[in-house]
Amino acid sequence: MEIQFKDVSYIYQENSPFAHKALEDISFTVEAGSFVAVIGHTGSGKSTLIQHLNGLSLPSRGEITIGDFLLSSEGKPKNIRDLRRKVGVVFQYPEHQLFEETVAKDIAFGPKNFDVEQEEIDRRIERLLPAVGLPAEILERSPFDLSGGQKRRVAIAGVLAMAPEVLVLDEPTAGLDPRGQREIMDMFYQLHQERQLTTVLVTHSMEDALAYADKVIILNGGKKYMEGPPLEVFKQTDKLQEVQLDTPEVIHFLNQYNERFGTSLNYQHQTLQELANEIKGQLEVESDE
Amino acid sequence: MDRKKLVEFKNVSFQYEEEGALVLNQVSFEIYEGEWVAIIGHNGSGKSTIAKLLNGLLMPKDGEIVVDGQKVDDDTVWDIRKDVGMVFQNPDNQFVGATVQDDVAFGMENRGIPREEMRERIQRTLSAVRMQDYLITEPHRLSGGQKQRVAIASVLAIAPKVLILDEATAMLDPTGRKEIMHTVNDIQESEGLSLITITHDLQEIVQADRVIVMNKGEIWEETTPRELFLQRESLREIGLDVPFVAQLTDELMKQGVELKEAALNHEELLEELWKFNSKM
Ligand SMILES: Nc1ncnc2c1ncn2[C@@H]1O[C@H](COP(=O)(O)OP(=O)(O)OP(=O)(O)O)[C@@H](O)[C@H]1O
Ligand SMILES: Nc1ncnc2c1ncn2[C@@H]1O[C@H](COP(=O)(O)OP(=O)(O)OP(=O)(O)O)[C@@H](O)[C@H]1O
Ligand SMILES: [Mg+2]
Ligand SMILES: [Mg+2]
Repeated sequence: MEIQFKDVSYIYQENSPFAHKALEDISFTVEAGSFVAVIGHTGSGKSTLIQHLNGLSLPSRGEITIGDFLLSSEGKPKNIRDLRRKVGVVFQYPEHQLFEETVAKDIAFGPKNFDVEQEEIDRRIERLLPAVGLPAEILERSPFDLSGGQKRRVAIAGVLAMAPEVLVLDEPTAGLDPRGQREIMDMFYQLHQERQLTTVLVTHSMEDALAYADKVIILNGGKKYMEGPPLEVFKQTDKLQEVQLDTPEVIHFLNQYNERFGTSLNYQHQTLQELANEIKGQLEVESDE
Repeated sequence: MDRKKLVEFKNVSFQYEEEGALVLNQVSFEIYEGEWVAIIGHNGSGKSTIAKLLNGLLMPKDGEIVVDGQKVDDDTVWDIRKDVGMVFQNPDNQFVGATVQDDVAFGMENRGIPREEMRERIQRTLSAVRMQDYLITEPHRLSGGQKQRVAIASVLAIAPKVLILDEATAMLDPTGRKEIMHTVNDIQESEGLSLITITHDLQEIVQADRVIVMNKGEIWEETTPRELFLQRESLREIGLDVPFVAQLTDELMKQGVELKEAALNHEELLEELWKFNSKM
């Protein structure tokens, strides 16, 4: 499904002394089947933005279209239930979406709510548990008695169990161990590719944005600050620094390398092996001269 | 130099449920004054459980925990909590004040810090985490990263002897994370407090004096960051990894670029490459 923001502003506690404009005149398009990363420092409006994608928040000004759904300040669309079935959101803190007595019931909550048959739900759970790196024993435990990373994995399984058409992820790897971070991002990416899932990822990992996204949107103080393909955006080191953002580590390293050795190695999605090879080749050329 | 031992775990075992599996099995370690120790390990390896035992939220089933010379038990726990500051994995679990400034004040009130001093510390700690503009905001109206910043300010304000940060910067952007860890590190060094950071951020581990690696409720390894990151393969086996610099060093060595020292950061790796280059 295509997602379009048209001049969207969002104000918390509008018409009160505490009114706070969290989004201001934001416009962009997420093409159907694409993978977009949203980046920005603390408080820049990322979570506010994605809460609009399943109608949890409605724009104070402007319009959002998601497939055939229209969201505006006029109120919730009648078919909001359909929207919520199609757009799965993994929230920033997993605690905000865990509430059932057992892990099994928690994962089943979404699909059950949308009338998926129990048999099908069981099949989905069986498939999902290993995909999120959880053992079957965990199903009967209370989601509240789990470690932070285990809760995160349950929350992710619960959203995937709805088999959404759009996947919205708010820092989904925070709290996961390094292997879990890699495996779960790979899994999202695989789903995205196999099922053409439109994916919106909020992340602080410039590395993940670089590795997975077709497009990066950078927010600053509630406004869109930059938008473009990751390699284009991450080339602009100075512009990023102005809003306290880093470049991905590999690009940062190559910049430092080039400065030290007077070279111009470029990052073009090489693997580490390829990079090491380029560096080696470059060192050899240098010493021949 | 005789350093003071501030924390000691002696053969500590723990389980949440009577018939349940041991979540910690015979865990022993010591942490000294002014030391920064990182605890890492796969999800569910027991890190947060260690943190909760350390400030008496949980009591060991077996073994003994000593904080600043006092054994942690039901009689000493209130005393000990005054010395042990902790930021939880999810900051929502620790907000008590109706506003950000009340929240920072709360821990200080419990410790009988005078009003004037309190006011000064509220300003200072909230500025240190760049949240000075949010004094009267309700904590639940903050963004994820703003919540973590306030939680850190609240614990810095009580100036504890032992500070435990349980994934306290997980929701911060990399620059913000570096900035905050820098601030915490400064305070740690000037006040000589013991800092324990539980983290999955490989970059954060690099700066610690020592690393304790947990695996399935047991200590798998206790070493320095530099030594640790030489063990790339076995770290991967237990759900962990090594940072970018160590990975690249590894690839370079495989391809015959001989680098002597295991670099921990960009500067060190560039220096190694420079040396290699001038030898060729
Ligand atoms: N309240 C609880 N009741 C029962 N079991 C629990 C409880 N809290 C944690 N556990 C279990 O104890 C084990 C250790 O949990 P702990 O929270 O210490 O892990 P952790 O190392 O902090 O993991 P993470 O990286 O995911 O935060 C896990 O298997 C977890 O499921
Ligand atoms: N419920 C709320 N009421 C009032 N203001 C809010 C509320 N939630 C967030 N805000 C404010 O809106 C701004 C944007 O918050 P948002 O949660 O969207 O940030 P974010 O980019 O997701 O940040 P983070 O990286 O820290 O999660 C912040 O300044 C925040 O203080
Ligand atoms: Mg957020
Ligand atoms: Mg934990």
